[in-house]
Amino acid sequence: MGISLVIDVLLALGLVGLALQVVAGPSLFRSIVLFVVFGLVMALAWARLHAPDLAMAEAAIGAGITGALLLMTYRRLVELNPEKRGETYLGSRWLAAPVGVLTGVLVGLIGWAALQLPPGDTTAGTLARDALDETGVSNPVTGVLLVFRGYDTLLEMGVLLLAFLGARAVASGRAHSPGTSEVSEPALVGALLSLVVPLTILVGIYLLRAGGHAPGGAFQAGAVLAAGGVLLSLTGRLVPTDHTPLVQRLVLVLGLLVFSGMGLFMLFAGSAMLSLPGTWAIYLVETALMISIALPLALLFAQAPGLKGRGH
Amino acid sequence: MNTALSLAVIFLIINLAAGLVRVARGPSPEDRMLAALLFGSTTVAVLLILAQLMEIPALRDVALLFGLLAAIISVAFVALPADHDRDEEDSWR
Repeated sequence: MGISLVIDVLLALGLVGLALQVVAGPSLFRSIVLFVVFGLVMALAWARLHAPDLAMAEAAIGAGITGALLLMTYRRLVELNPEKRGETYLGSRWLAAPVGVLTGVLVGLIGWAALQLPPGDTTAGTLARDALDETGVSNPVTGVLLVFRGYDTLLEMGVLLLAFLGARAVASGRAHSPGTSEVSEPALVGALLSLVVPLTILVGIYLLRAGGHAPGGAFQAGAVLAAGGVLLSLTGRLVPTDHTPLVQRLVLVLGLLVFSGMGLFMLFAGSAMLSLPGTWAIYLVETALMISIALPLALLFAQAPGLKGRGH
Repeated sequence: MNTALSLAVIFLIINLAAGLVRVARGPSPEDRMLAALLFGSTTVAVLLILAQLMEIPALRDVALLFGLLAAIISVAFVALPADHDRDEEDSWR
């Protein structure tokens, strides 16, 4: 037990130290790299907390999208404001102390509330786990997401779609291509893409399939697919279009349509709204959700209303 | 056996801490980015050991994801504007 305690203390100290360096560091680029490292250590912490689902989400989003997104944002900042390179873009610092104190109070309150939680058998988690056999999936996270709290998951899909629409509403002018198409690219990029992009599709489908009985599922799978799209638009293989093509419009709403359609169908079939008639329905909805999660994430990254292959 | 695995994890985490010095001090952006990529590999190793140690096979999938997606950040880094004026070394990165 003593040795695992050492591991946990090292990870906790590392997380706090990294977080401090990220927010208080002297240069923006350094903070971005440290934030990526923070995500790695955070995944290790989730693993130590027996939460492989969260570690997986951290891996898919953190390694696949956030790091590249921050670097691209940094690139835009430098392009927009080359003479301000030395600045760290930190806002006014006088807010730091009160915000820090309030956040500390909040964290303390949450920790105190967590300690007051009743132990034992009557919590919602225990009830959900006991009822898991009825859902047809053996992974409790997927069971809860799709069966016990279907409304939340459905509305989360709506939120993602709204985020995409909101980004389109405030985006101005021509889509900015984040790609490197205009400059000569390093020789290894093509080889890397031909290796990694098919693997993201394979791994995405594997995670979707694994989600039934192990950590995985639509969200992680969609994020991995989106990471493939991010890679393609970073390297200029996918370029922004002026409008969203019809197929991509359909894909954007596919998850909402399939999930709510299935839910309504069950309502009229005499069952409860959003109840799912078996494992096949869970996988069907999960597949639709995966696709409808992947596309808006990739489009948001590319700041584009739609994407098309280069040269088309 | 478990003690040996735990010690291996601690050794790797201390390795991370050593690499962190390079990320924090730089001096060049390439130094920081390469150290961060090294972090990714070390994290994969730690996750694989933890999967065995804690008997959570799903952690191998997490390691798979990190291994697969590590390339993206380096491609994004390459897409950053080149340093034409490296003389004013890096006050801005």
